[in-house]
Amino acid sequence: MVFQALQKVFRRPQYALLAFVTSVTVFVFAVWFPNLPLIVRIMGHSDILFSQKFDLPISLLGSIVTNFTLLSASYTIAIAILFGINLSMLVYFLRRRVAEVKQGGIATGIFGITSGVVGIGCAACGSFLLTSILSLVGASWILSFLPLRGAEFGILGVILLSTSLYTTAKKIQNPVICKI
Amino acid sequence: METELKKERISIPTAIILAGVLIAGAVIWSNKSNANLAQKQQPQQVAQQTGDLEQMAKISASDHIRGNPDAPVKIVEYSDPECPFCKRFHDTMKQVMDEYGKDGKVAWVYRNFPLDQLHPKARNESVAIECAGDLGGNDKFWSYADRLYEVTPSNNGLDPAELPKIAQYVGLDVSKFNSCLTSGKFDKHIEDDVQNAAATGGNGTPWSIVVDKNGKKYPLSGAQPYASVKQLIDIALQSK
Repeated sequence: MVFQALQKVFRRPQYALLAFVTSVTVFVFAVWFPNLPLIVRIMGHSDILFSQKFDLPISLLGSIVTNFTLLSASYTIAIAILFGINLSMLVYFLRRRVAEVKQGGIATGIFGITSGVVGIGCAACGSFLLTSILSLVGASWILSFLPLRGAEFGILGVILLSTSLYTTAKKIQNPVICKI
Repeated sequence: METELKKERISIPTAIILAGVLIAGAVIWSNKSNANLAQKQQPQQVAQQTGDLEQMAKISASDHIRGNPDAPVKIVEYSDPECPFCKRFHDTMKQVMDEYGKDGKVAWVYRNFPLDQLHPKARNESVAIECAGDLGGNDKFWSYADRLYEVTPSNNGLDPAELPKIAQYVGLDVSKFNSCLTSGKFDKHIEDDVQNAAATGGNGTPWSIVVDKNGKKYPLSGAQPYASVKQLIDIALQSK
């Protein structure tokens, strides 16, 4: 059923493009996230050549290999892909005016995305966003009790996004309608 | 239809329960395998700060510098000996020094940033590195650091019994080294480094600040690829 729904949506190039662009954007943001201040600084520097302004951010994408564990790289990529597909399917759903977009599916997707985002980062040595949030509430000690040191949130994000994808696919295949 | 709606209604609670089960499972598993971890936590926690690079402590004679101390570009690295990414970045920095250190263009400044919440053994290892420097000077400091980063399996995996062995390996007096390790002599120094890393915006390791000849600073977070570090160095070197 999920496969059929995916076929239905991605038969149209605009939805495939939307999913692709969204996934790439999420992936790039996740990998750049720890170094956004550096990128901003470089971009705003008038003495730096345009080619250098272009090359440095591109090379930073290589940190998916050097600054991520196999696990965190896997769920970061999975979250990016699932995010893109989810968004595309939701847009398809809404544009087709299938009225019964129940909060359940969307909320699960948002919860999944949120959970995935807080898990993004260097899981072994201070997951940046997660550490920040926990520190704000004085709860950074929680990390020491998590066996995967925060990667749990990334895994949870993948699970919830997959659930959301399944729910949306089901709605696309079997929209809730008033039967005569 | 009704079944459909029922399923919809239970999707959010299911997601929340799933999250709870995962976190509870993690806590139980962790309690099983690391029963004493909580007791070992250091009192100091790295507070999240927005950070200001200008807060970086001035590079001074008390720093451990590899390469030309007057190099036009200095890379100040705040590092945790048990962080696997610091281990990886240590090799990247050695590669940097091979390429830029010989000509005196780049200097590497090492500072301590043990993340106690994640790696309770890291602080003691930071003390060990400092002790090596204290007993044998700058060369022994770097020899000890190189060897420690080489042998540690990371993620709190280094047996503390290895520390004196590394001291012996690099040619230090082991009994003096052991005395230094328990003396508490570097506790303040290391804590100052940790607080300074946090003040500059570091909230993960490795955390580096590239400083050009005019004092302009560029933050570099994480174990970035050699290509990125090289590009950043080239940008810093061309600073007018």
